[in-house]
Amino acid sequence: MKFWNSRQERLQEEIQSHIELETEENLRSGMSPEDARRAAQKRFGNALLAIERSREIWGVLWLEHLLQDLRFALRSLRKSPGYAAAVILTLALGFGSVATILAIVDSVLLRPVAIPHPDQLVLLYIADRTGVRGELTESEIQDLQRESRLFAAVAGFDTSVKPVGTSSGTRWANVVEVTPGFFHMLDVRAAIGSLPDANATAPVALISHDFWQERLGSDRHVIGSLIHLDGEARTVIGVLPRGVSVLSGTGGPFVYTPLTLSSQQAGMTPSGAFVMARIRTGVSIPQALAEARSIFAHSSPQDVTAHRDLAMDTYTGYLTGSLRKPLLVMLGGVLILLLIAFANAANLQIARAMERMTEMHVRSALGASFGRLLQQLLMESVVISLLSGALGCALACVSTSIIRTAYGTQYSRFREIAVHPIVFGAISLLALVTGILASLAPALSIRRGRRAAAAAPFATPRMRISGILVMLQIALSCVLLATAGLFARTFRALEQIPLGFDPHDLTNLVLMPVDSKESPILILQTNARLLERFQSLPGVESAALQSSAPFSVYPPVLTCWTDVSGRPFRKGDSAIYSFVSSDFVRASGIHLLHGRAFTTQDETSPNMVALVNQAFVNEFLPGRNPLGISVRFHREPQPPRPSGLPLDILGILEPEPDVPLKPSFSIVGVIQNELQRSDLGAPFEPMIYLDYQQIPKDSTLLGIMLPVSPFVIRSSLPPVVLDQELRTVLKQVASDMAEMQLATMEDKIAQALGERNLALRLVSSFGAMALLLAAVGIYGMLAYAVTLRRREIGIRMTLGSSRSGVTGLILAQAGWLIFAGVVPGLAAALVAGHAVRSFLFGVQPLDPASLAAAVALLLLAGMVAAVFPAWRAARVDPMEVLRTE
Amino acid sequence: MSTQKKDNPLGLLQGTLDLLILQTLLFGRAHGHAIARSIELRSEEVLRVGHGSLYPALQRLLKLKLIATDDGISENNRKARFYRLTEKGRKALSAETSKWQRLSEAIARILTPAAPETH
Repeated sequence: MKFWNSRQERLQEEIQSHIELETEENLRSGMSPEDARRAAQKRFGNALLAIERSREIWGVLWLEHLLQDLRFALRSLRKSPGYAAAVILTLALGFGSVATILAIVDSVLLRPVAIPHPDQLVLLYIADRTGVRGELTESEIQDLQRESRLFAAVAGFDTSVKPVGTSSGTRWANVVEVTPGFFHMLDVRAAIGSLPDANATAPVALISHDFWQERLGSDRHVIGSLIHLDGEARTVIGVLPRGVSVLSGTGGPFVYTPLTLSSQQAGMTPSGAFVMARIRTGVSIPQALAEARSIFAHSSPQDVTAHRDLAMDTYTGYLTGSLRKPLLVMLGGVLILLLIAFANAANLQIARAMERMTEMHVRSALGASFGRLLQQLLMESVVISLLSGALGCALACVSTSIIRTAYGTQYSRFREIAVHPIVFGAISLLALVTGILASLAPALSIRRGRRAAAAAPFATPRMRISGILVMLQIALSCVLLATAGLFARTFRALEQIPLGFDPHDLTNLVLMPVDSKESPILILQTNARLLERFQSLPGVESAALQSSAPFSVYPPVLTCWTDVSGRPFRKGDSAIYSFVSSDFVRASGIHLLHGRAFTTQDETSPNMVALVNQAFVNEFLPGRNPLGISVRFHREPQPPRPSGLPLDILGILEPEPDVPLKPSFSIVGVIQNELQRSDLGAPFEPMIYLDYQQIPKDSTLLGIMLPVSPFVIRSSLPPVVLDQELRTVLKQVASDMAEMQLATMEDKIAQALGERNLALRLVSSFGAMALLLAAVGIYGMLAYAVTLRRREIGIRMTLGSSRSGVTGLILAQAGWLIFAGVVPGLAAALVAGHAVRSFLFGVQPLDPASLAAAVALLLLAGMVAAVFPAWRAARVDPMEVLRTE
Repeated sequence: MSTQKKDNPLGLLQGTLDLLILQTLLFGRAHGHAIARSIELRSEEVLRVGHGSLYPALQRLLKLKLIATDDGISENNRKARFYRLTEKGRKALSAETSKWQRLSEAIARILTPAAPETH
C-alpha cells in the first residue's frame, strides 16, 4: 500500500510539475498568470482521469473496487436491517442443516478408523441363508494363510461377551480371541507394554484403552497385573492405543486373548474362527474374493452337503454399513432444504434489486458499466452468504452437541460427532457458490428492468423468475413433507407391531457364570434355585427362563435343520430352537393358541414335549392338526455308512455324534408368533420351544445354551424396586453368576424404536422448516406482487372491481402458485418415496395419505401467507394510486 | 467508479501514441512535458496530444519495460522525471515502425487516384 501510494504521489507530483512547466511557458509568451495557469490546465486535460487510468494500468484498481464494494455492501446492509436479517436467517437455516448433516457424515462415515489403511481390511465368513455369519474351520484358515498371495496377512478371531474380573469388580467385557498374527495384520502397536508373543504359552491378555481407563482406573502400573476370565487369571501385558477397538470401530472395554485354533474346546462346532485379512496394496476386493474362494473350494472337499459360501465384507463397510444409506438420505433431504432456503434468499434479493432500480439507473447514468453493477451486487450477495454460512456453522455446532448428548449413549459412533474444519471449508465453498448464483437473479432482473423501463414504464413488470423460484420451493417442500409423512407412518406401524407377548411389567435379566467353564449341571441347578426365589418374591407374578427372550442379544441363536414327521425333509427346513423353563408361557404373557403349555410334570416325564409357534405350523403343518405331531432334529446320513439305511437312523451335520438330540419330541401346544431378537418388522420365523429340564443332563446342547441365562420376570413392582430385589436374590443364591443385562421390556422396545425415532425426528424437522420457508417465500412473493401491482389494482378498482374482487385476485395468484408447485412436487415426492422405500415399513411409497397431507399443509400455509398481502391489496386507495402518477 | 470505455474520436489511437513516444525518446531522454511538446512540434502541430493521455501511456510503456525512468533536473531547475528508451524498446520501435510504414504505404496506394490513362 505504501509503495502504491508513493507511486501515485510521484505521478501527481510529475503531473504538477508538467502543468507548471506549461504555465511558465505560457507566462513567457505573455499571458497573465491566471490565464497562463488556466490554459495550461486546459491543455493538460483531465488530470484526475489521467491518474485513474494510470492506476488502472498498474492493476490495483480492481482491489480498490473490491474493498469499495465491500464497504458499500456492509453499509447498505446496515441500512436495511430487516432485509438483511431475513436473508441471513433464511440462508443460515439452510446452511446450518447442511453443516449438521455434513458433520455427522464426516464424523461417522468418513473419519478414519485408528488403524492404518483400514480400506485394505476385509472380513471373511460363511454366508448362510438366514444371514447368520458362520466361522471358517481351522484347516480352511490355515489354507488361506498358506496359499494366498493376494492377502498380505490373514488372521482368525472369535468374539464373545463375558464377565471379566478386575480389581474393581466383575463386569461384562467384550472378549476377542485372536490368532498370533492379528495385531501384525492390523499394523498397530501397543501404547503401553507389548503385543503378545506368537509363541507365548502363558495366559496373557491385551486390553483396550477404554478398558484400561474404565475398569483399571488408568493405572500406570497395569502391566503384569491380573484379570480373571473364564475361571483363570491372565496377565495384562499391554494396552492398545486410544481409538483402536477392533470390531466396534469406537471405544468399549475389550480384552484380547490369544487364540490357537486347535486348542479350542471340542464342542458342537468344529474349531474355527472368523477371519479378518489385509489385502495387498493394489489388489481389488473382487480379485481377493475370487482367490479366497478358489482356495476355499479345494480346502474342504468333504463337506459337500453343507452349503458353505465364502463371503467377504470390507471392514469399514461392516462398521458403517447400516449407517451409510440413512445418512446419505439425510444429506439429500438437507440439500433440498438448502435449495428452498436459497430460493427464498434469491427472491428477497430480486425484490430488493427492484427497489434499487432507480439507484441503478443513476449509477448507470454516472458511468457505471453493467459489469460494475454486477460486481457490486455480487459482493453484497457473497457477503450475505458468507455471514449466513458463519451463522449456519455456529448453529451446526450447537445442534451437533445436542445430538451428541441426546444420542451418544445409544449409538457409540454418535459420541464422536463434531464439526471438523473440513465442514467449515465445505460450507464456505457452498456459501460462496450460493452467493454468486443468488446474485445472478437480481442481475438479470436489473438488466431486463433497464430495457423494460425504457419500453413500458408503467406496466407491471413480469415476475417470472420470482414465480419460478417460489414454485420450486413449493415443489421441494412437498417432497420433504411427503417423505416425513411416510416416515411418520412407518414409525406408527412399527409401534403397533403385534409383539406376540405382553411387554408391560416384564423385566429381562441376563446372567452369565463368572467362570465360563462352570459345569452346565451346576448352572441348571442355580437357575432352578433362582427361579424358585424369584417366584416367591412379593410382587412377582411369575418368572421363567427363555433363551429366545426378545431384546436379549447375549444368548446364542440356535437354528437347526428339523424333521417333521409325516413330511419329507427338504434341504433348508429349519427352525429356531428356544429353551425355556416350564412357566415360560405365563411369565412372558405369550398367547397359547392351541393345546397346552409346559407343566412341571413334563420335567420328569420321559416323553419329550415341545411347543411350536404359529409360523412353524404355517410353514410345516398347513392344514394339519399340529398337536401330537412328532418333531426332531434332522441328522444327515453320514457318507461313509453303507447306503440303504432306514430313514429314522439319525445322523447330523456336525461331526460330533451325540448332538443334537436323538429323541423326537411331540408337539403339545401352539403359541403366538413372538418377536425375535430386536428386529421390529422382521418376518416371524418358525420356532420350537423345549423345556430345559427335559434335556439329558449330559448333552452338550446344555453346554452351549446354558452359560447365558436369560430370565423374564413379570411383576407390577416399579422397576427400581424390582431390580433391587432381584439383585439381592442374586447375591444370596447365585454369587457365581454375573449380571450382564437388566432392563424392562418397554425400555428395550423404546430403544429398538429409537433409531427410527431419530430418523423420523430429523426428517420431520426438515419438513417443518421447509414448510416455514415455503410459507415465507409465498408471503414475500405475494407482498412484492401487491407492491408492483398497486397501480393495476387502483385502476381495477376505479373500473368497478370490488375490494373482495381484488382480494380474490391475490388469493387466486397464491392458489395458482401453489398448484403449479404442487404438481411437480407430487411427482418428485413419488420418486423420493421410491428412493427411501427400504426404510419404510407398513406403508407404500405411493401413499395417498402422506401425499394428501403434504398438499393440504402447503395449501394451508399458502393461504395463511396470502392473507396479509390480500388484505393490503384490498386496502389500496385508488385515488391515492392514481394521484401519484 | 470507472468510466465506460468510449473512444475519444478526436484523440490519437492508443497504439500510435505509444509509438510516437518511443520515437521521441529515440533521440535521447526527456521528461513528460518535453515529450508532449516534441510530438506536437515535429508533427507541425497536426497532432495535438492531450497531455493528460500522455501519462497513462507512459505508465503502460513502463510496465511493458520498453522505457525506463531516471530522476533529474529539468531546464528550469526543477526536479523532474526523465524517461529513456530501453534496449527492448529500441527493438520494438524498429519493428513497429516498419509495420507502420508498410501499412501507410498500402493505404496510400489505395487512396491515391489511379494514374491517368494515357490512351
